[in-house]
Amino acid sequence: MAAPPRHSAMLSVSNTAGTPQSGSSDKSQTPQQPSTPQPTQGLRVPSNRKTIYDRHLNRSRNAELSRASFAYLFAEMVTYAQRRVTGIQDLEKRLNEQGYPLGLRLLDLLFYRTTTTSSSALSSSSTSSSPPNRPLRILTLLHLIHGPLWRLLFGRSADALEHSVSPDTPNEYMITDNDPLVNTYISVPREMNQLNCAAFVAGIIEGVCDGCGFEAKVSAHNQPTEMWPSRTVFLLGFGESVMEREKVLERAGIK
Amino acid sequence: MTSPGDATPVKPPPSFSPGVGRSASKSRFPDEHEPTLSIDAELADTGSVSSPTPPLSATTAELRIRSASPQARSVRSSTPQLARSSFGSLFDGRFDGSEDIRSLIIRAFSPTIAVYASEDTDELIKNKGFKGGFWELLRPFGETITGKVIIRDSIGSSRAWEDYGVRFVDLKGLGRAPASRDSGRDSALAQIEEVLAQQLGSAEGSLGASLSSKDVLGFPATISLAKLFLRQLLSSTTAAPHETFGHPVASVITISSRNKAPLETLRQLYAETNTGDKRLPDWVHQEYLRYYVLVHDEDRDDITESTRLYDQMKRHFGLHCHLLRLRSSQCIVTDDDSVQVPHCEWLSPQEHLSGAGEAETLVDLGTDGTPYLFDSDVSAIKSFIRELTVQSVIPFMENRVAVWNDQVASRRRGISGRFMSMSRRWAGFGSSSRSGIGGSGGATSGNYDTEHNFYRQDTPEAILRKMADYAFMLRDWKLASSTYEMIRSDYGNDKAWKYHAGAHEMCAVSMLLNPLAMSAKIKLESIDQMFETACYSYLTRCSDATHALRCLALAVELLKSRGGSATESAARWAMRVMDFGLVGSVGQILFMERVAACYASKTPVGGAKWGARRRKAGMWSIFAADQWLKAGKPTLASACLEEAERLYADVLDADGVFPMPEMQSFIDNLRHAVKVEYLQARGFDTQDEPAVDDALGTEEISEKLDKRNHRRSLIGLPAQLDAGTLMSAGPRDAEDQPNDDFERA
Amino acid sequence: MSYYFTILSPTDTPIFNIAFGTSKGGGDGIARFRFPDTAQYMNQFIIHSSLDIVEEAQWTNGGMYLKHIDTYPPAAAYISAFLTPSGARFLLLHQPPQLPNSGSSGGLGSSSLLGSSGNLVARGSTSSIAANPTSPQTEEAVRQFMTEVYESYVKTAMSPFYKQGMEIRSPVFRTRVTAAGKKWL
Repeated sequence: MAAPPRHSAMLSVSNTAGTPQSGSSDKSQTPQQPSTPQPTQGLRVPSNRKTIYDRHLNRSRNAELSRASFAYLFAEMVTYAQRRVTGIQDLEKRLNEQGYPLGLRLLDLLFYRTTTTSSSALSSSSTSSSPPNRPLRILTLLHLIHGPLWRLLFGRSADALEHSVSPDTPNEYMITDNDPLVNTYISVPREMNQLNCAAFVAGIIEGVCDGCGFEAKVSAHNQPTEMWPSRTVFLLGFGESVMEREKVLERAGIK
Repeated sequence: MTSPGDATPVKPPPSFSPGVGRSASKSRFPDEHEPTLSIDAELADTGSVSSPTPPLSATTAELRIRSASPQARSVRSSTPQLARSSFGSLFDGRFDGSEDIRSLIIRAFSPTIAVYASEDTDELIKNKGFKGGFWELLRPFGETITGKVIIRDSIGSSRAWEDYGVRFVDLKGLGRAPASRDSGRDSALAQIEEVLAQQLGSAEGSLGASLSSKDVLGFPATISLAKLFLRQLLSSTTAAPHETFGHPVASVITISSRNKAPLETLRQLYAETNTGDKRLPDWVHQEYLRYYVLVHDEDRDDITESTRLYDQMKRHFGLHCHLLRLRSSQCIVTDDDSVQVPHCEWLSPQEHLSGAGEAETLVDLGTDGTPYLFDSDVSAIKSFIRELTVQSVIPFMENRVAVWNDQVASRRRGISGRFMSMSRRWAGFGSSSRSGIGGSGGATSGNYDTEHNFYRQDTPEAILRKMADYAFMLRDWKLASSTYEMIRSDYGNDKAWKYHAGAHEMCAVSMLLNPLAMSAKIKLESIDQMFETACYSYLTRCSDATHALRCLALAVELLKSRGGSATESAARWAMRVMDFGLVGSVGQILFMERVAACYASKTPVGGAKWGARRRKAGMWSIFAADQWLKAGKPTLASACLEEAERLYADVLDADGVFPMPEMQSFIDNLRHAVKVEYLQARGFDTQDEPAVDDALGTEEISEKLDKRNHRRSLIGLPAQLDAGTLMSAGPRDAEDQPNDDFERA
Repeated sequence: MSYYFTILSPTDTPIFNIAFGTSKGGGDGIARFRFPDTAQYMNQFIIHSSLDIVEEAQWTNGGMYLKHIDTYPPAAAYISAFLTPSGARFLLLHQPPQLPNSGSSGGLGSSSLLGSSGNLVARGSTSSIAANPTSPQTEEAVRQFMTEVYESYVKTAMSPFYKQGMEIRSPVFRTRVTAAGKKWL
């Protein structure tokens, strides 16, 4: 793909760029997107006297969005993020920050949907699916991200979940996605080959971790293989306090 | 009944060497008296009219600097007690005194030794300036015995105690006590309250001038108040049938070298303790140790004569004798080897109050009234008390416990005892005791005298209680708790409610004091249950508020010293005290502080960030501050405020602003009010104060606005996502536009 | 029964407050706390102090509804907590009504702070009726209430104009919470 297209008109959504669905705000000149691959609900002006509180949160649960429109929207987000950046790291940081609030929201939505539906989306992560438990330990949290969160976002689980083997970094975990949706239609110029736009997804993960009370740094890294040229590894580094708490909880026998 | 000779075989103390702990105890001594001394010093300061003003101006000067400083907000020591801030960990000490409190509680239950002196002895002592006679001379020295005291427990292992003490009482007062008790039951609590109020009044002073000296000592007023309260409470209970702590373990029968017919007098005094109006009531066990003392007048009488008499005494009365050599002339301060008599630690509230007029029992008068003794007298008395305790009283008690444990407790413990208790008939077991006591209902053992509400002293119930109490005083808490445990239900069967309550109370207390026992939570629950039962029996069945309060106060302090989840129980009990309305207004505030202290002492479990109760502790400190202020004690209020600030520091952000607006404004108002009253109390013009405070206030508000960008990533997002204004996008556009152009160019 | 409901952000900032009374058993839905109106800060103090317990329970109990977690005995105030996965805490303070025979109705110096001295009586007698704050029925009702509020909260959080930790000012949200309170409590 060529360099991301520029649409200066998209600037108006700058302050809500973290949430893709807000691209449908009334000021934008781009075509309205009724829903997005992230099936969070769009905010509507309550012209029909209906507020967001009147809408059912599960209505768009199984709604699908055209991949093209998502790709278009995401390209715009990258473009926006690229403005005024000092380098690749800065760009990734911005993408991460756009994802972060989304992660916080997804967390609540994810739990809401599992409490209100009989078929639990969390079933793979926790043995007792109803009522779902807040993750207390790192592993539970990782399973939550690897399974239910990924399914909510991309319709499938992530491809691998690993723990760092290095004794120096026991706080590092890796989640692998062989073919991240966000990168499908993005080709990075050679001079920027360090860039991985899945930093946005890393931001989402970070939001989820932080929301659950697991302070973490998450970054996305290119790890192409022959079979999966856009294979991406999300590296999660949990903070000191999390690791300390982990020890205490382990002693207390809390799962 | 014991005759002088057969009291008990003297078991030599396991490893007693007289000189052993002396040097150690020297260093301990000042420690123990610190609280009293601090009060004294500060009161002495009040007494002297020309109290120094320099500290005051120093305080305010510091205050002004502090308020004006922009850094003040982070520290938030906006309360006026700035002088204290320099003492860094002051409040740590305040809430850390659990060992101290434990020791206080342990020492509160010391063996009681009755003193019965001949008239000539009392005459001699009165000449030395002790109006109360020989008893009063011994009393302050008995409270701390010099050197280590080694005690063997029921399984034969011995332990040395440095803080052992005995309580000397006047034998004449002992018999009389129960009579006055009934009338003074409620007033005991009122008296405690009065003592507290008195203490507060003198502490705060009209101008609060004395405070400076207290600050210098580094001792906040309230720790001594809380201790004072506890000590008053523990010493307010007099001898009662249902517990034997006030009953004499021994009696010291004393004559002086002036006596014309020494041996006859001794015999007569002994006889009087068994018969006649000096005889103790029926519920007091008569089998206590008799100890014979000859007071030798160094100034007037011949020592060889006395030694001869002493040898004669030993021949007649056995080994429990002592020759005490004292000088009969009065010692005054200016004498070379004068030593001030230590203060009595365990004055009952009544004595505290009545002491106002008498010089010698009064703590408050400072140096003027306290009697002095010659150095030689002091060391003679100390070594006498040590010998009395270590060589006679403790072996006697150890022996009694062993005998009773063997003869009475084991039978009760055995199958037959259990069976009998189940069928609730102890006939034959208490043998002699059944005769002469009527009213044995079918459901009771019949040993309980329902008419007079006590067990006779020779019934197994009474003996077991006595044995448990002895074990308790010997600090063998394991045996004590198991014995209390064994008998507590028996009392319930007999509907002997006060005994019932007492056994439950002491069972829980001894369990808590036993350092080895109790780690499981289940134990904690059973202890709570015991306190509950004790408290219910005391309060509802016997309407004995003093004992109920003592029971709860012990529960609070001991559970608190246990740490962990017990501290929460402690706090709950403290709240119950307030709830029951057992304490007066000052007591209420003190208990609020105790609640705060209980919560503050709960620490996070290893490594985890949770488990502390800082917010709760802070809240109670604030409440206490509020109440102190309402009680017109801004100094104490300010101390509590400062404490609250310290507690809240951990849970609030660095700027110390409360997330809850109404809390914040309440605390701000409180701070302001405390500051104003404090300064007014010291006679300062507070005119310019509000201005300073306002300045602080606005500063706080501005902080509040921008402080909440907590999350790393949220900081990254511009803080203008205001749901109300869509327009916020506008300026943002304008701001971005030029950059965009720049980028394009 | 009087209720004080607060939503706290993960950093303890209150983002929503409401006080209401029971609507069950002929209640008029108006909160009548034992503290005088001038002492409303008491609710906040009690809620704030219960955070000590919440923090502890948060990591020992993985559920979202933590049930009744704390009591403030002097005022017979009970705290129930609900944690959203993203770290917001819903705290409900409930206080059984003061029985008319249990002495002074607040307003005095010390009773304003300590609630009433007669709450032992209150505690004893309310155990028989459904107003007992620790009964299973109450727990269930509070759970239903919390779940319903949670739904509204999620909807609020989904709004792109709402940022976590911001005060919830939507009147619709308030109506929803009031309705949930009426329905369950």
